[in-house]
Amino acid sequence: MKNRIEEIRNLRGIRQEELARQLGVSRQTISSLENGRYNPSILLAYRIARYFDMSIEEVFIFEEE
Amino acid sequence: MYYNNRRLALSIFWVVVGAVLVVLSVTEVLDSSVYAGMGGALMAVGCLQAIRNVKYRKDPEFREKVDIELNDERSKYLRMKSWAWTGYIVVLVQAVGVIVALVLGNETVQLVLAYSVCLILAVYWVVYMILNKKY
Repeated sequence: MKNRIEEIRNLRGIRQEELARQLGVSRQTISSLENGRYNPSILLAYRIARYFDMSIEEVFIFEEE
Repeated sequence: MYYNNRRLALSIFWVVVGAVLVVLSVTEVLDSSVYAGMGGALMAVGCLQAIRNVKYRKDPEFREKVDIELNDERSKYLRMKSWAWTGYIVVLVQAVGVIVALVLGNETVQLVLAYSVCLILAVYWVVYMILNKKY
C-alpha cells in the first residue's frame, strides 16, 4: 500500500526521529513505512493519520492488486 | 515497564546459579570443565541483565529506547517472522538429516530425527488449532 507519510512529514518539517518518538515506534519503522517495505497495522495507520490531523484515506492510498 | 523487580531477582538468581556451578567445578565436585563454562556464561548473562535493569530504572532515555524496541510493531512482526522461518528451516534440515542417516545406516540418529520432526509438526498443529479458535 502506498502512502504519503514522507511527503506530509517533509511539508511539515518533521524529522523521522521525531515522528517515530511521537508514535512510539522505531525510526526504522518510519523509514520502512515511507519506502513501502512495511504495511502498518490499522492501529498504527490510525495513529499516524491522527498525528497529522488527517483521515487514513488522506495518508494511505489503497490500490487493488 | 519491562525491567521490574521480578526480572532483577531472576538476574540475581542466574548469577548465584552460575557462581555455584563454577565453585562446584573448581572444587572438582562436578568432574567437567563444561560446568565451569556454563556457570561463567550464566554469571555474565545475569550481571548484564542486572546492569540493564538498573540502567532502565535510572536512565529515562534508555527506558524509552528499550520500551520502543520491545513494543515497536515492526520489530514484533520481524521477531515473529524470524521464529516462523527458524522453525520451518529446522524441520527441513531435520527431514534431510533423516534421509542422510538412512543412507548412512545410522538407525538411532534416523529415529531421533524422525520422531523430532513428528513432534514439531504435532506441536505446530496443536498451536494452529488453538490459535484458530482464539482468532
